[in-house]
Amino acid sequence: MSRTSAEWNDAPKLPVTHYVNSKIYTDEELHQEEVAKIFNKVWLIACHESEIPNAFDYRTFLHPCGRSIVVMRGEDMTVRSFYNICSHRGNTLLQNPSGNAKTITCVFHHWSYNTKGNCIDIPRERAGYGSRVCKEDVGLREVRTAVAYGGFVWVNVDDRCESLEQFIGKAFEDMEVELSYPMEVFHYHQAVIDTNYKLWHDTNRELYHDYMHYHNRLTGLTQKGYFNRVFHTYPNGHVQLDSMEIQYQAYTGKQRTLAWPGSAEACHKLIDIFPGTTYILRAPSFRVDTMTPLGANRVLIEFRGLGVKAEAADERAERLKEHNSLWGPFGLNLHEDLLANQLQTRAMLGGIENNYVLHGREENMTTHDEIGMRHYYAEWGRRVGRMPHDPFGKPVAVAA
Amino acid sequence: MSLDRSISELVYRSCALLDEMDFPGYLELCAPGFRYKIVAYSPELGKQMVWKDVDKEEMKHHLELVPRHVRDNSTLTRFPTVFTISYSDDGKNANVVSGLQVFKTKLDGGETKLFGVARMSDVVSVERDTVKLLSREVRMETRQLGIGSQIPF
Repeated sequence: MSRTSAEWNDAPKLPVTHYVNSKIYTDEELHQEEVAKIFNKVWLIACHESEIPNAFDYRTFLHPCGRSIVVMRGEDMTVRSFYNICSHRGNTLLQNPSGNAKTITCVFHHWSYNTKGNCIDIPRERAGYGSRVCKEDVGLREVRTAVAYGGFVWVNVDDRCESLEQFIGKAFEDMEVELSYPMEVFHYHQAVIDTNYKLWHDTNRELYHDYMHYHNRLTGLTQKGYFNRVFHTYPNGHVQLDSMEIQYQAYTGKQRTLAWPGSAEACHKLIDIFPGTTYILRAPSFRVDTMTPLGANRVLIEFRGLGVKAEAADERAERLKEHNSLWGPFGLNLHEDLLANQLQTRAMLGGIENNYVLHGREENMTTHDEIGMRHYYAEWGRRVGRMPHDPFGKPVAVAA
Repeated sequence: MSLDRSISELVYRSCALLDEMDFPGYLELCAPGFRYKIVAYSPELGKQMVWKDVDKEEMKHHLELVPRHVRDNSTLTRFPTVFTISYSDDGKNANVVSGLQVFKTKLDGGETKLFGVARMSDVVSVERDTVKLLSREVRMETRQLGIGSQIPF
């Protein structure tokens, strides 16, 4: 039966943990709070170490706080990160997304820095500043950096943050073996989507939407063992889903036999890290998604396809082909997910009446249980200090 | 009709047939040994990426699957411009370089925006009066394609 306006605005007859108010996906002010209370406090992936293999290699990354960060490998091969901002007049130091630079020299007034972030030259320093400004006082702003969990470079702009190991906890324990093999990125593309970053991450946290994917219906949903998979939750909002064997032959007529080292053929493993990182191993392909919100209704998603370093050319070609067929910009599945998120945002932007988004499926934590999202929003509420089902109601205690 | 014109028309027709989602018609223009590739240089990785690399059978399979998947109901309109045509010494093959602009038009409201630009390098077989696509490499200039496209360029 269709509903009147009053009925439509009634809260769902579910526990308040099992739905959210759609304004958490569309409100710009709330989004600014999320940046301050979440993104400026947590560890985020900036790039992969294979993108900066040599001394003096660098890679830039747009942090959700709006600043460009440069990740550099020093002469000592240590990876460090800095704001990509000259200490002098706030100019962007490195324009290109990647490169190799023994020193970073600002094009504007030629202030120079080394890979440790030390200022090493100020043209006509003494003539202009005397002893009032000296190189030692104007180094770059360093950002905490760690390389871990498959060779990814993680950064945190909060100097007082917990360690990456504390933040992650045991969330990667199901992929420890797979991630122990040296990896390299063979595929990278960005997508700027008119949607909220959480809607994208929601999609990565639930498999109920397999109904949308023709591929997933055939290779997973209708296959033995699919509904036996169990979600596991970890502190700080992370989740992991048990593996299953994907039946590729139901879609392409041929099963995939190339495995990822340390795991079963055609396995499907999924780990979601709060607030927006996903590792998906669907052997032979391995994909890692990261994202930078550009506002409440716009997100930059970075997609990386990974292979095993120094693997045989035919194996790499097989991973690449499988990756591209579903997850590349011309693939069949990724398009479906991104389209769905865009359509969600289109529907939610009306903003005249409340509508609630349900995360209420309970199936003993198995495949179609929406615990992945409920766990996420519990953490979101804890950090933002608002209740996801009533974000503009009485504030709740904020996480330390 | 001159050979140059036949070859140009082959390029234009191949794009028009994809626009119309006439996949069997598109495949008809391809020789049995047809190979299709999309590549893009990534300044982020500092290397060339392969975004699609399929033979004719794999392309056929992909195109047959498109209608079974959920997809954006916008249309793509491809505008190729043939830049150069050169021939092998034996005259059996032609190398064609074209520029390509692809526009996307929303079904709801009809707004059109530029979707992507690329360079196409085709090898065309020339036998008597028949021309067929032997290979096509689409070198993407645009790398940010939003939700992407299930139908290749």
